[in-house]
Parts: sequence; C-alpha cells; structure tokens
Amino acid sequence: MIPSWQINRHALIWLLLAFVAVIFIHSAHLPHWIIVAALVAIICRVQRYRGAWPTPNRWIKLSLLALCLAGLFLEYGSHLIGLEPMVALLVSTYALKLLEMEHRRDALLVVFLAFFVAAVQALFDQSIGNAAYILGCFLLVTAALVGLHQGDTKIQPLRPLMKAAVLLLQAIPLMMLLFIIMPRLGSLWAVPIQSHSAKTGVTDTMTPGDFSRLGRSADLAFRVSFDGAIPRQHTLYWRGLVLSNFDGRQWSRSAPDDFNYGGFDKGGILQWFGRQTQPWDSLIERLGQPLHYSVVMEPSQQPWLYSLPTPLPKSTGIALTRDFRLLSSTSVTTKKQYEVDSWLDYKIAANDVSDYRRATELQIPRGYNPRTVELAQRWRRQNSNDKALVRKVLGLYNEKFVYTLQPPLLGKHSVDEFLFETQRGFCEHFSSSFVFFMRAAGVPARVVAGYQGGERHPDNYLLVRQYDAHAWAEVWLAGEGWVRVDPTAAVAPERIEANLEEALRDKEGFLADSPLSLMRFRHINWLNNIRLQLDSLNYSWARWVLGYDAIQENLLEKWLGSYSPLRIALALLIGGGGMLGLLALWQLRHRFSSKHDELDRAFLQLCKKLAKAGIPRISGEGPRAYAQRVAEQRPDLAREVKAINSVYEHMRYGNESQERLKVLKWAIRRVK
Amino acid sequence: MVERFGKFFRYHFSHWVYGRIPPSRSIALNNRSLFIFPSKAGFGFLLLVLICWLMATNYENNVVFAITCLLISVFVITILHSFSNLSGLKLSFVRATPAFAGEQLVVELVLHQEQSRYRESLSLSFLGEEAVATTLHDQEYIHVKVPLYAPRRGIYNPGRLTLESAYPLGLLRVWTKLDLDIGCLIYPQPIFTSPETVNAQSRGNGPLQMGDGSEDFVGLNNYQQGDSLKKIAWKQYAKEQGMYTKHYADYQDERIWLDWNDFPGLDRETRLSRLCGSLLQVSATDKAYGLRLPGIEILPDNNEEHRLKILRELALFEEPSRGDEEEQPFRKKPL
Repeated sequence: MIPSWQINRHALIWLLLAFVAVIFIHSAHLPHWIIVAALVAIICRVQRYRGAWPTPNRWIKLSLLALCLAGLFLEYGSHLIGLEPMVALLVSTYALKLLEMEHRRDALLVVFLAFFVAAVQALFDQSIGNAAYILGCFLLVTAALVGLHQGDTKIQPLRPLMKAAVLLLQAIPLMMLLFIIMPRLGSLWAVPIQSHSAKTGVTDTMTPGDFSRLGRSADLAFRVSFDGAIPRQHTLYWRGLVLSNFDGRQWSRSAPDDFNYGGFDKGGILQWFGRQTQPWDSLIERLGQPLHYSVVMEPSQQPWLYSLPTPLPKSTGIALTRDFRLLSSTSVTTKKQYEVDSWLDYKIAANDVSDYRRATELQIPRGYNPRTVELAQRWRRQNSNDKALVRKVLGLYNEKFVYTLQPPLLGKHSVDEFLFETQRGFCEHFSSSFVFFMRAAGVPARVVAGYQGGERHPDNYLLVRQYDAHAWAEVWLAGEGWVRVDPTAAVAPERIEANLEEALRDKEGFLADSPLSLMRFRHINWLNNIRLQLDSLNYSWARWVLGYDAIQENLLEKWLGSYSPLRIALALLIGGGGMLGLLALWQLRHRFSSKHDELDRAFLQLCKKLAKAGIPRISGEGPRAYAQRVAEQRPDLAREVKAINSVYEHMRYGNESQERLKVLKWAIRRVK
Repeated sequence: MVERFGKFFRYHFSHWVYGRIPPSRSIALNNRSLFIFPSKAGFGFLLLVLICWLMATNYENNVVFAITCLLISVFVITILHSFSNLSGLKLSFVRATPAFAGEQLVVELVLHQEQSRYRESLSLSFLGEEAVATTLHDQEYIHVKVPLYAPRRGIYNPGRLTLESAYPLGLLRVWTKLDLDIGCLIYPQPIFTSPETVNAQSRGNGPLQMGDGSEDFVGLNNYQQGDSLKKIAWKQYAKEQGMYTKHYADYQDERIWLDWNDFPGLDRETRLSRLCGSLLQVSATDKAYGLRLPGIEILPDNNEEHRLKILRELALFEEPSRGDEEEQPFRKKPL
C-alpha cells in the first residue's frame, strides 16, 4: 500500500495521456513553442518516474515559468487580452504544473486544469466531432482522477478507465435534463473573443472579385428549415446587406445606415424584436401570409443576418433595420439560430421615396465611367418609362455578356470597361454596372448583397453555401416601390433557377479553394448520400444543441405548460430525482438479490426436509454442526448431507462458481 | 470564543449525529450510518463548475454549457458511487492484541460483505491515530489491523472508529464513526528494576543463598543510604552503637513472589508498573513465580497462561471498569 498523498503509477499514466489528448486538440491555435514545451514536460515527467532525472528544484521551476511568460509576451505582445493568449497561458500553466506536481494535491489541480483546458476548446470549435473529442478527453481525465483515488495499484490498470466510463455514461441522462431545462442567462459581461478568426462570407463592401472569390468555397453559410415546403428556387434571395455608396470602385453602406454595433438603437434605425414598432415600419405593406422559417447560421464574425424579403424577426436579440434587413445585437461568433417570418409579397415605399433616400440611391461619383453615363442619359431620353428602361438594359446583358467565375481585371472606369469591352463577369460586375447605369439614368437603385438559392436536403431543409453568395439590384419604380432586379438572371438564368454549380459546371475556378470537399464528388451517388447524411447530423446538432437557446423557451412552454421558475425547478427536481432513484436502485441491486439468497434458500429447503425426517435444526446451530448431527442420527444420509454441506461451505465462504449451485440443488432434491 | 463555540457545537453535534449508530461489536453500514459531504477537492470541483458555467454563459456557447451540465451530473452521480462503495459493508471487532501502556496496540477488525464487490480505498482510523488503508477485491471478508496508542492500564475503549473513503473521484468523502464496543486490555507500563532487586523480593525455603536476602538473619552490615528502614538494626542504634542494617540471607528458591508489599511508599500505579517489569524479567527465566496483591494471590507457576493471567490481574487491579461482563452504558468518549 502506498502513502495516500502520493501519485500512483496508474494515475500518472492517465494524467499523461489526458495531457497529450488535451494539448493535441489545442495545437491548431497555439504557438509552436508551447507544443514543444508541453512535450518537454512529458519527457521530464516520464524520466522523473523512471528515476533517471531528479525532481526539478525551485530555480529550475522559476526559470521555466519566466521563460513561458517571456514567450507569451513575445508572442502576443500588445494584444494580451484575447482568447488565444488566454488559452496559451492556461496551457503553459497546465504543462508547468504537470512538470512540478509531486503530491496528490498537485495532481488534483492538474486534473482540474485538464478539465478546464479541454472545455475551453469548445470556444474554438463547436462541431459534433470536436464535442465528441472533448468527451473523450474528459474520459481520460476522469480516469486519472479515479486512478488517483484508487488505493490498490496492483490490480488491472484499466480499472480506472472502466470506472470513469461508467460514471460518464451514467451522468449523461442527468446532463441532458440539465441541458434542456437549465435557463440560459445570456452574456453577463463582455469577454475576449478569438482574434485571428477570419471574417467569412459576404462583407459590407463589394469590389470586383469579392464574390467570385466566395464562389471558390464550399463552406457552409447557413441552413434553413421552413415550416412547410421550401419555396421555389428563384424566390430564394437571402438579403443580407444593402450597399448604396459607390466611390467608383467599391460599393459600401451609406453613412446614415452605417452604425457601430453595441451602443446603437439611436435615431430609430433599428426595430428590435419584442419592442415598439418604429414609425418607418408604416412604409412597408406586407401582403398575404408570412412564411415562417428558422435559420442556423455558421459563425461569420459579422453582425448581419440573412432573410428572405421582407422579414420580421422572431427571436430575441435581433432587429429589423430601416432598409428591411436583419441585424444581430452581437457579431455571429458561434453558430446562431434565429426564427423569422417573411412576406414574399410586399410593397416598400410604393408611392413615394423620401428626398434623403432618393439622393442616397442616386449618388454616383463624378468623373467615373463617362461612356456609361452618356449611354444611360441617351436611353433615358428614348424611354420615359423606368420599367422599359430596366428591360432594355437587361436585354443588353442577355445579348452578348458572359457569366464566368474568372472575369478579366478592370481599370479605373470599371463599369465602362465591363459594359463596352470585356463583357465577362460575375454577379458583382452585373449588379454594380446595372445599378450604376440606373442611377446615371435617374432611377433610384442600389446593390443588395447576400445569398441566392441553396441546396435542398432530402430532410427538407436548405443548405446555403459560400458559393451561393450573390449580389443583385433593387430599383425604385413609382407605384411599385423597391423592386428586385437581378441582372445575373438575364445572363445566366440557370444560376437562379438551379444553382451556381449548374451554371458553372466543369468550369475552372469553381470550388478551387475546396479541393477535398465532398461537394466536388456529388455526382458519385453513394458519396453524395454519405455527404447528405453527415450534413443532416450536423444540422440537427446545430439546431438542437448549438442553437437550443432560440427554441428553449417555446419548447419548455409546450412541455411544462408555462416557462416559470417554479415549473423549471419542479421539472428539475422530479426529473433529476427520478433518474437518481432509478440509478440508485441499479447501484444497490446487489442488495436485493445475490447468489447467497439462492444458496440459502436451497439450504433452508434441505433443513425443511430433514426437519420432516425428525431432525430439525436447532436455532444457532451452524451448517457444519448440523450436518454432523444429522450424520450421527441418520448414518444412511451421512454421505449425502456431508457432501451437500461441503459444497455449501465452499460456495458460501469460497469463490465457487454458480455452476455448483445447480449441482447442490439437484443433490438436495434427491435427499429423501 | 468562536473556537470554543465551534468545539461545543462539534461535540454536541457529533454526539447527536453519531448517537444514531449505537455501540455494537458488529455493524453493517447503511444509509443510517453513512455520512457524505464534499471534500476540499469537491469544493474545488464546484468552483471549476462555476467557472465553466460563467464561460458558457458569457460566450453563449452551448457545448461548454453541456460540459458544465456533464460536470454537475458527474458530481451528483458520484454521490451514489461513493455511497455504494461503503454501503452493505459489515465491520466487526475481532480482538485487540493486549499491549503495555505507552506502546502500540493493535485492534483487529474484519470487514465483510454479502456480495462480492470491490470496495476501494477504505481508510480506518481512531481519532488522532494513524489511518490504515485497505481494499476489498471481490473478497467475502478481510482482516484489518488498526494500530493505536495504548494510553493507560486497564480496559481501554479507544472511542469511535472512523471508516472513510473518497473513492471514486475524491470529490466526496463518505464516512462513518462506529463504536464497535472495543475493549482493549492494556497492561501496566513496565518499569524494570535491576535483577538483584527481584531476588531481594523473593522469599523461599531452598538452599541458603549467599548475598543480600530477607529470610534468615546472618549478621549486621554498616548502614548505607537507601537501605530499607525495616532492616535497620534499631536495637543497636538505640544503644548508640552505630547505624547498622540487619543482614539476612535467602534460601535459594525457584519460587518467586511478586509482592505488592515489596514496594512500600510508592503509589498504586508505580507499584503495578514495577511488578509488571519484574514479572517480565522473571518470566524470562525458568523460575516459578506468583503474585500477591491486596486480596489476590496467585500461586507460583511458570507458563505462558500463568504469565498472561498475572498480567491480566495487574492490568485490571482496582480498575473501575473491570471485565467485559459489566453493563456499560453509552459512554461519552471522544469521537
């Protein structure tokens, strides 16, 4: 037996394994030198165990600590407050503690650090695979904890792991109950977020080439579940941003609509879900029945959300903007689920548009694209009807323009060059040139950026990927208000009717950034099936686990009758109590039946038989003494009774198998 | 003040709580006799849970939230495992090896169980004594020897035995404090005297033995400081002939008496200690020896049983709680 404060061999093995597993998963966002330091810590630990190296003294420990701190300062310098530096600091602490731990107390701290460092990994990646990996890490860490408290180390080294597995498995039902019922409070204070994560998806500026770059990626942007059937493909315009400002090269949001996130809500720009209606809401006429759907968005590090026009938010923390888009109160840094009602039939500002709005949506930079301006004004004079003008321009595109992911580069007068020279472009070229043309002709117009279409999953939801990113136009027509015009549809109708893949099949550049994506192999049937199954799993995960906050209130209201603290507490008590009760019964099942019960029953049967034969067992008489007495009084039974007693004793006090019990019962039955 | 209150509280609380487990030679552990509370590590773990919860809430991260729920859940499940690690275990007092006061005493216990199960990391200890760790592997029973300090002669009840375990995760401590009605026989702490003294105390009718004895008068010797007052030749002293001590010779005798009266002027315990020391010395020889205590006389003999009998008499002489047969009310022993 070893002193209880020491770290035994099994615990050390599990601690080291857990350490390797936890560090490995973090390696992607840790500086390389920390990985090296962690390896050194493991080697030191193993060497110390083997007795090859001595316990590091205080000076070595202090200098190692100083080295780590210096490394962290050099690595992160000025921006020390961030998720990555925090994790790097945690991991170095973890490694140093592992290196110096000596007593069980230290090992406990290492175990707690391991739990925490493994949990922190979920801030970087919430995917189902990663969650499973973290669970695996927890298994190893728990095994280490069991190992630390297991007295005897001579027996099977796998016992701690088995015990840990049993503990975790039994903990899962209660965990699920807690997860479902425990209320989410929402962010209590601002926390550092990942600093190096690239913003993905559509950005709030548009220069030629932006969207063609997105066309090279098969990453997921968001998934949508509709109540009912998915609407037709050509109506699926996921509106995200309105770009009204043009400086000759780049489109961006107009200054008054361009607010800083955080302390906005000023000037009535936003209409939050659940708050009062803004006056500008009267500009919109919503016609017919709304379409209800739920979106699970992948992290984009941007605050804007995508919806079909025209939306009304149905989840908290989401606002409707003055140009009828959706906005989140914080940037989407983790998967975000939100619910929306959309009216596909609508009229916005049908009768008049404000002077301010008209001025904004007619603005063009002076000195750019003179040929286009000239042409626009000529056509304007020929067509007094705005609608006819729109049709004429779309006709121009349809005539001789080419839709391609690899358009030629454009110079200063980008619209001129595109319209009169290259005539090859992607959606941003078409929308940009169209809006410029319309504005030059005096028709209020603006660029809208977002996604178009999406892949229909057999499980009745829609997958929208980065290559579905799209830009189109909205023009203001008297009597109709803001109307969507998609010049790309004039050039490549298959892009809108089907999807980009159809439009660009076998063309170079499509999915160029995702060489291994399963999307490239979708023509292979079984691979495609696997891909769809995987996505279905991921989507359920995103919807029911990651985005659970959005549906918790409704769900609990349905199950519990009302979403009140009392009901929640009661559900927790009853549900948790029930689970624990069942588990306790299972744990203590030995109480209710054991091999001895059966054995004793068999023996009592023998006593009964013998009592009938006139030799009752005296109270307090042991089986052996009884057998002896029976043998003396009934020599004819002596052999049998003694044999039975012998088997009984072996089973009672030795480690006899259940097999013998059958033999014993048979023998007892035979006693006459 | 606070400390005193704490002591007072602990004293009365423990008497109230552990009073639920009456003294018995054999006690089966169940939910009545087992107590459970988070250990220091357990509170550390709860702190970890709190930190994880804050992280989950602030980052609005449901995976971390699920992890937090898992940690809470593991903590709760561990209660059952910790409890079932001890529950159903039966503790019986087997014997306490007699020892001399001031030495180590070994209390032998047996742990047994109805079912064959693993009982991990059990720790047994008496208050203020070193703990013994043990494990049951699938066995029906095991013997455990718990050491403790033997404070004084007599029948000693070391108080309640603490059986505890932090298995499986060390987050919860399950314990029980049992009064196994242990009575340990403790012999007096022996005080050894020089071998001559032992002889001096013996009287017999054997062949005359030269040297200092007490049986037959041989002559007078000059008084030396430390000589027994009984032996002073008062007649000569009264005649002012000087201070002499009467010198007696003993008969060589195989029978030695360990006599209470050989140690005049000493208090009871010291006398018993000296008798005990003498006994140990004498019993190492092959002489027969007997014991004379006020009201008790054991005739000389020489064998192990005899020796133990005498030791027992020495241990129990004028002991209030003599014997195990006596009715013992619920004692307020240190827990």
